Amino acid sequence: MLEIQSIRKTFNPGTVNEVRALQGVDLVIEEGSFVIVLGMNGSGKSTLLNAVAGSFFVDAGQIRVAGKNVTKWPEHRRAKLIGRVFQNPFSGTAPSMSIAENFALATHRGRPRGLGWALSRGLMDPLRDRIAGLKMGLENRLDNAIGSLSGGQRQALTLLMASWLKPDLLLLDEHTAALDPKSAEQVIALTNEVITRDKLTTLMVTHSMPQAVSLGDRIIMMHGGKILHDLQGPEKKRLRPEDLIERFNAIRAREQLDESAADMLRKNYI
Amino acid sequence: MTLLLGALTIGLILSLLAMGVFISFRIFEIPDITTDGSITLGASIAAILLVNGVNPFLATAAGAVGGALAGAVTGIIHTKFKINALLAGILVMTALYSVNLHVMGRSNVPLMQAKTLSSQAEDLSEAWVGGDTLSIFGWPVASTDAALLLMAFTAAAVTGFALYLFFRTHIGTAMRATGDNSQMVRALGANVEGYIILGLALSNGLVALSGALLAQYQGFADAQMGIGMIVWGLASVIIGEALTGARSLGLTIMGAIMGSILFRLLVAIALRWGLNPNDLKLITALFVFAALVLPGLIGKLKRRFQPAQPHA
Ligand SMILES: Nc1ncnc2c1ncn2[C@@H]1O[C@H](COP(=O)(O)OP(=O)(O)OP(=O)(O)O)[C@@H](O)[C@H]1O
Ligand SMILES: [Mg+2]
Repeated sequence: MLEIQSIRKTFNPGTVNEVRALQGVDLVIEEGSFVIVLGMNGSGKSTLLNAVAGSFFVDAGQIRVAGKNVTKWPEHRRAKLIGRVFQNPFSGTAPSMSIAENFALATHRGRPRGLGWALSRGLMDPLRDRIAGLKMGLENRLDNAIGSLSGGQRQALTLLMASWLKPDLLLLDEHTAALDPKSAEQVIALTNEVITRDKLTTLMVTHSMPQAVSLGDRIIMMHGGKILHDLQGPEKKRLRPEDLIERFNAIRAREQLDESAADMLRKNYI
Repeated sequence: MTLLLGALTIGLILSLLAMGVFISFRIFEIPDITTDGSITLGASIAAILLVNGVNPFLATAAGAVGGALAGAVTGIIHTKFKINALLAGILVMTALYSVNLHVMGRSNVPLMQAKTLSSQAEDLSEAWVGGDTLSIFGWPVASTDAALLLMAFTAAAVTGFALYLFFRTHIGTAMRATGDNSQMVRALGANVEGYIILGLALSNGLVALSGALLAQYQGFADAQMGIGMIVWGLASVIIGEALTGARSLGLTIMGAIMGSILFRLLVAIALRWGLNPNDLKLITALFVFAALVLPGLIGKLKRRFQPAQPHA
């Protein structure tokens, strides 16, 4: 369960580069709910996920994950509750280390790491099974550096790593955007499988309308650092890609209206 | 033969330095110049304790702990106060110069009369072997020299193996990953800053251990003995990578040890052939420069002189 209460974030405040990336976001996500986040470039989707994950502290508001107020927790502490997959396949894995070693790290997400042997048998046997389940032929390459794998393979593994210990919240930020269509499809299928099987509370950012309508049980649409639309229940079920595109066009039209109004004002008064 | 044995022994002692530099430079990609201060710190602490009759093992361990503390300070300055890692190292190295003079009370502490690990090794060898020479592959070798070599070899082998085991534990694996992808390590709940501090402490602890052993081998600690040692360590690590290809953790650690020995041998030979000792640091620096630049340069030249690939 995730509870976000009027959080705000301004980057580079007081400078010419000031960006008000989050301007009062309220959001409550029930346990086990799978939420798709849509929005145009720069609307604040990644900033929202980063705020929840703790990549930075918010300027105002409160964030609660699984009932705990994590607003002031550093990122590594929140990781006990949160699993993440990034857009960039290079971000989620340590490239020069082996597949097995990467998983050894993931099996201790948010737990104390001692002087125990990292690649214990207790890890290797279940690991081989779960990776065989991917049907990518990686179960015989556990000693290979993970950097030698393709982007799709790496994202699939990162997803498995993020969900190895069941997270209270799973954050996916365009985790298939950097992949070719076929790998993207594979990773999406895996995503759906993992989330459904473990009933994971999930926030997933995407730009793909087909993904948005076919996955999840709720859609939020962001614009200008705020949540503009929140579609759930039967409304979400009935949604077609065209409906979403319509809403995007409405946002664009309004923006253009704003711009032409500003233009007019500028011409008349300056 | 004495020359060869001496070079081997010093090479093995300095391989601890090379392993320390491997941690800071290869794992964290920090050229940590604290090294120059902490090798002297290790030597100073050990020397002053030995002169005061402390057990040689304790004195050596105390030297290593001192170095680890110095490394931790560099790590804290870098991570908590957000000061560039190189600058943090420079600050601590500079401060250590004064610290070392205070520890020793003067700029040089001779250990001729003191009971040290080296003198103990020599005593042992005399007690066991009896005579003062023994024959290795037909060569007459002073038994004391052989004992010192054995001591240095044991130190390097035990440390190298312990380091290998450490890097295969959960903590060690997370530490290696920190240098590889800190974003991922953070997302998996590890405290990156803590690992950097711990890593630099470990690195400088090894460096100081090397310094403590070196002081006992050469029979003195000196305030100047650390100058340029970071470059020495870098040279060893780079040679080691060339020797082993740096394909795995075990090979890389072995490489650092072999690199240190080979580099020391090369230096001994060059000095024997009449290289001016004053030029040693200059040549070491040039060597490291070349080793860092040449691979990229050769690749570029190769591409330039290769016939243009036909377009598909
Ligand atoms: N670390 C940062 N420093 C300064 N500005 C930032 C930072 N991160 C994001 N921004 C700005 O905040 C705004 C929102 O960015 P964000 O990355 O959240 O958008 P997004 O919705 O994820 O867009 P996209 O679909 O392109 O990924 C943008 O104007 C961006 O330039
Ligand atoms: Mg984004």
